[in-house]
Amino acid sequence: MKQEPILIDRKRVLKSFFYTAFFNTVIAIFLTGLKFGSGIFINFIFAQCIGLTICSFVLIAHYFLRTVSGVIQPIAIILAMIIGSVVGTLLGMAATGANISIFVDKDVPFIHVVLIGILFGSIITYFFFSRERISRTEILIQEERIKRLTSEKKTVETNLRLLQAQIEPHFLFNTLSNILSLLDTDLKKGQNMLMDLIHYLRTSLKKTREDTTTIGQEIEMIHAYLHIFCVRMEDRLSYKIDIPDSMKDIPFPPMLLQPLVENAIKHGLEPKIEGGEVSIRGEENGGILRLEIADTGVGLYKGGGSGLGLSNIKERLKSLYGDKGQLILEENRPSGLKAIIEVPYERDQGNHSR
Amino acid sequence: MKEIKAIIADDEEQLRSYLKSRLLEVWPDLVICGEARNGQEALDLMEKYRPDIAFLDIRMPGLSGMEVAKKIAGTCRIVFITAYDQYAVEAFENEAIDYLLKPVTRERLERTAKRLKEQIAASTEPPLDFSEIVGRLMSNLQDMKTSGYLQWIQVQQGDSIRLIPVDEVYYFKASDKYTMVITKEGESLIRKPIKDLADELDPNKFWRIHRGIIVNAACISKVSRSLTGRSIIRLKDLPETLTVSRSYTHLFKQM
Repeated sequence: MKQEPILIDRKRVLKSFFYTAFFNTVIAIFLTGLKFGSGIFINFIFAQCIGLTICSFVLIAHYFLRTVSGVIQPIAIILAMIIGSVVGTLLGMAATGANISIFVDKDVPFIHVVLIGILFGSIITYFFFSRERISRTEILIQEERIKRLTSEKKTVETNLRLLQAQIEPHFLFNTLSNILSLLDTDLKKGQNMLMDLIHYLRTSLKKTREDTTTIGQEIEMIHAYLHIFCVRMEDRLSYKIDIPDSMKDIPFPPMLLQPLVENAIKHGLEPKIEGGEVSIRGEENGGILRLEIADTGVGLYKGGGSGLGLSNIKERLKSLYGDKGQLILEENRPSGLKAIIEVPYERDQGNHSR
Repeated sequence: MKEIKAIIADDEEQLRSYLKSRLLEVWPDLVICGEARNGQEALDLMEKYRPDIAFLDIRMPGLSGMEVAKKIAGTCRIVFITAYDQYAVEAFENEAIDYLLKPVTRERLERTAKRLKEQIAASTEPPLDFSEIVGRLMSNLQDMKTSGYLQWIQVQQGDSIRLIPVDEVYYFKASDKYTMVITKEGESLIRKPIKDLADELDPNKFWRIHRGIIVNAACISKVSRSLTGRSIIRLKDLPETLTVSRSYTHLFKQM
């Protein structure tokens, strides 16, 4: 992977200049202490001129070559430092009005000043770049950690939501209330509904511990679920399931279809006064399994969030199939919504050869 | 003594009949003059019978129980019914609103019946500010669930209309009278000017950074300042960068 170039922004530029000015001052004091040059004032001006010029040149070189990789960048930076030091020395001479004779008197030739500039320039530049690298590595480590923690959190959340989806309290209490009522009025119907609920709960609870189930098992559970709703909603709900027998023992992740059926009822048909139909279709074509859940409900529910369930399904598809698995949402005609799950499938893994 | 009339509204037949029979057990004199399957039917029954009490399921097709309550507040006493609605129940407790949990228990129903009888016997008027309380409750509960902002983008794809959750959009880009929607999967054009979109999107999640660009804040990976002082936005997963125009730079000042 290509390394991202160090970004140069205004804040960083100002910071570099500030630090450089600070170091320059230290250097000037240090050199004066060594009885080098012509007193603290002149040394200070020279140090600032040389240091800041080197800093500017290095930054400019770095800015223009930020996307270039290889040895060109370090070479350019060394060149920038040398030129910076020479230009800085000249600037210092102009600023102090001093000519080279000052140094000659004191036995400090021009070239020495330049060399000292390069020496300190290298140290400071090295300091900047290594600091940059360290902080960048730290950021990378931090990002990795955040990524890992986020994905762990997501897994936990997904499991929690899965668990919640299976025994949605509203569904459970409403269904139980129905059964309670049917025990008064229609014992047989009540018993059937209880059996459906048991079947639904048993299969869905079992599935948390399994990684895959089959399309057939999943559909059977949805059957029980829809059957419960048919009793509850009476003639407001009808459903049809059209899955070819050949697809039934294909392995399939649990709780991907059920939330879509739940959405169709909860957000599509329950809010619609006259109700409607849920239809579930499946087909296998060219290595792709396609399962479609359509309702004739109210359609895009107003103000309804993009749905916890949906992003959950998308995440799971992504972790299971990468970019090959997808959830597509479409408008159903003439009304309602259609959710389509597409996942890759290879024939031989299901033992289907006749 | 004048007879006390009530209506029951619930979209599930079994639940209506169950509540009715249990109610009559604990309160044999109560006259249940009508049953409604949805909010509108409940309103019609109210009009027709002018009952003293309305038992309203919260989740009903058409008008919800709360919406019905808001309309009829002050004309009768209201008892809400819910199977499970944590937030609503909490809110009811706080406002001292009568409610029943499904499946209703005999004890609870007796308590409710006793209270209703006392109130009616004392002929205290049903509270007039009830509609206000319910209105406040509804908006609170609504806030908790969803915002009024745009949640879906409808995109024509072949001969079907695909729905994309706005959260999956990286950014919107104006393109003449239309708007380009950029998602991880690619670009598509929608027939809506970006100006209108800006009004419909949640400004906390979608930032306008340019006259012609609205970016999903959740998709920003990095904001940096160029040497000229412009803010540059890098996006997650996508190679392109976006430049914030001067008039919107204040959005990123504190960063």
